[in-house]
Amino acid sequence: MRTALQVGMIGCAFHAPRNHDTASLEEAVHQATHNALRDAGLAIDDIDGIVVAANDQYDGRAISIMAASGSVGGVGRDILCTPSCAEHAFVLAALRVGAGQFRTQLVVSWSSLETTDLSEAQRLGTDPYFHRQLPIDDLSSHGMQANALEARVPGAREAAIAVTESSRKHAAIAYPEFAASPVDPRVIASSRVVRWPLTEGMVSKPAFAVVAVVLASDAFIAERGIGQPAWIHGMGWATEPGFLGDRDLAELPSLRSAAQQAYDAAGITQAESAFDVAEVADASPYQQLLALEALGLCEATAWQASIGRGDFQSGGRLPVNPSGGALSFNPVFCTGLMRIAEAGNQVRGQAGRHQVADVTKALAHGASGFAMQYNTVVVFGRDRKEVQQ
Amino acid sequence: MKAPRVGIIGIGQSDYKSRRDDANYPELVREAVALALKDCQRSLEDMEAVVYSLAPDALLGIGNAERLGVDAVGARNKRFMRINTGGSTGISSVAAAHSHIAAGACDIVLVAGADKVGECGDSQTIMNKIWDPIYERSLPLGTITMLAMSALRYMHKYGMTQEDMARVIVKNRAHAALNPRAHLRKETTIEEVMSSRMISWPIKLFDCCPQSSGGCAMVLASEEYIRANNLEAVWITGLAHSSESYYLGDRMGRGYTADHADAHALGESFQRSYKMAGIADPVRQVDVAELYAPFSNTEFHAIEAAGLAPIGRSPQMLKDGEYFKLGGRLPVNPSGGTVCSNPIAVTAMVRVAEAALQVWGRAGAHQVQGAKVAIASGNGGDHQFFGTMVVEA
Repeated sequence: MRTALQVGMIGCAFHAPRNHDTASLEEAVHQATHNALRDAGLAIDDIDGIVVAANDQYDGRAISIMAASGSVGGVGRDILCTPSCAEHAFVLAALRVGAGQFRTQLVVSWSSLETTDLSEAQRLGTDPYFHRQLPIDDLSSHGMQANALEARVPGAREAAIAVTESSRKHAAIAYPEFAASPVDPRVIASSRVVRWPLTEGMVSKPAFAVVAVVLASDAFIAERGIGQPAWIHGMGWATEPGFLGDRDLAELPSLRSAAQQAYDAAGITQAESAFDVAEVADASPYQQLLALEALGLCEATAWQASIGRGDFQSGGRLPVNPSGGALSFNPVFCTGLMRIAEAGNQVRGQAGRHQVADVTKALAHGASGFAMQYNTVVVFGRDRKEVQQ
Repeated sequence: MKAPRVGIIGIGQSDYKSRRDDANYPELVREAVALALKDCQRSLEDMEAVVYSLAPDALLGIGNAERLGVDAVGARNKRFMRINTGGSTGISSVAAAHSHIAAGACDIVLVAGADKVGECGDSQTIMNKIWDPIYERSLPLGTITMLAMSALRYMHKYGMTQEDMARVIVKNRAHAALNPRAHLRKETTIEEVMSSRMISWPIKLFDCCPQSSGGCAMVLASEEYIRANNLEAVWITGLAHSSESYYLGDRMGRGYTADHADAHALGESFQRSYKMAGIADPVRQVDVAELYAPFSNTEFHAIEAAGLAPIGRSPQMLKDGEYFKLGGRLPVNPSGGTVCSNPIAVTAMVRVAEAALQVWGRAGAHQVQGAKVAIASGNGGDHQFFGTMVVEA
């Protein structure tokens, strides 16, 4: 952003109850909101505006934002919704603070599992004439993308299996309560095929969660004496076309574009060595590989060697997804916001058991839609960025 | 800190009709985009970001239908996001685009969308699905019955009659007859409205908006870009939103949070927009209003929430003949408004577009002479989300 205003992430909450059926969606959304505000040290009266992200098809409501407005404190407040994806809610909230119209924003998104068939809800996202008769859902689109990547990059499958193993080991530290499995690469590789070439062991079942994040302006942060926010140094977001047939699924030009936007804003020229930690999209391990490449963190030719050396494990050159990522816990629709929030928490020193030491700069990437149609990149820094006029 | 100025430099509207069998959904979006780009002499390549305006997916029968519109708006590998706040989506999308520019992320942003409400079958069956599936959805709730309850309450509190409601339609149809893009352009009479089929008492067929198909697009730019390129522009000087409760029951009975007769949150939103624009006395300072009112009765509480009339007084002011008509004082909905065209995904954007055309002096036959300050509003959800804007020459 070419803005004189600085925006920081000051609060965050993940609400993922083991027995989510015991509370309504509204109660869960309220709980996450409450926890995020508490984490930020704020009350709801401190919140100027709200951006939520929800999916009508998953929620079973024609305008899914409606049900949230009470739970997130939206009554009497300026509240918008970005149903395209949860990452866009974060972007819009940051823009709203950056524009100077708001001092604070609350961002909330959720993964509702109330629909009887998630695949059918996703299939509604295809055009009704040409593609809807095909069995397309998010997972099958990820499978096609994995196929395309295997065809382009020799050794992609081995790298994908290693990425899955690494993420599950991270998850065992970060969120042992989710007991993400399998960890054994032989089981990852040989378990039942869910969408070729993806095996059951390479993906994580859809889970329920609510993610809430609080953003604030530099003036507000200074006024309240809020210590160690995660400053947003740069943001980028871009989209692929809607029809899968119009794309080379083994490439992500939109992510390259989004990364360039974010890096330009953050003044980053050498992405490979710029970050202390990264949280990237990984609904399948192949997505993480694509992200590493398009974000400029690791060329495809180096995947196997870098992953084999443990470059992206905790303690490695650049820990990637120390949270375990969506490969270990997959609240569909808000996984992208989770990646952003996890990266922000690393900079805040609030990542918990999987905190990486001395994080001064973190990279977040979220992807949504069929075969990563929407890509969003956020660069967080511990220090305020130098103002670019 | 005062936000940087953001200007409107291009506007494109399709004609609003019952059906558009000649254009599929992305083509309809593209039609509006092409018109907006032509209006400001820019190309798709010039656009740095796109905000996509799309209300309930169910009206199109395609989940996340914005994904199919990416190429129609030229957003491949560009910044793109969709907004949905129900009927207020269009104005919310313009507000989101404003944030892109005011934050300094972009210099020029396209806002675009379209809807095919006229081809969705029965929109009220779909609209019933906005409500809570456990408590309210089993009731015969739709947007018509919802606002019929509001009409009843308004009648009870302020003495509005069915003839007062009909007068809004007579006024707006006369306005729409001057607007070549409007869907319902045939003038009507109080008698004709009164004798039209009862839909949900006291709302009759002629009190209702049509189900329209059509598209709208706008191009917004930073003051720096506008100056550097010697472009014509009008300016967004105030904008805000506010929300009411989800459950209609919270706006009724004892202990309600707001009265369903009034548009409490719309009033709050207007106050915020006015404060940002420096408007202290809207009756004196506002020249023309484009207010989202899908049913005749709701135009009254929108006028009052905008501060253009005392609460409960607008029906009598319209009846007296001095106010709210083209040629009179404080013209409201000179385009014919939502009761004459309602392509839901962009209806509230059309309000902003028409307000902009007015202060630009480009509204054509429905131009309010000398208009320099215009206001626009949008309502979404179950009369829940409200967006407002002030546009100035």
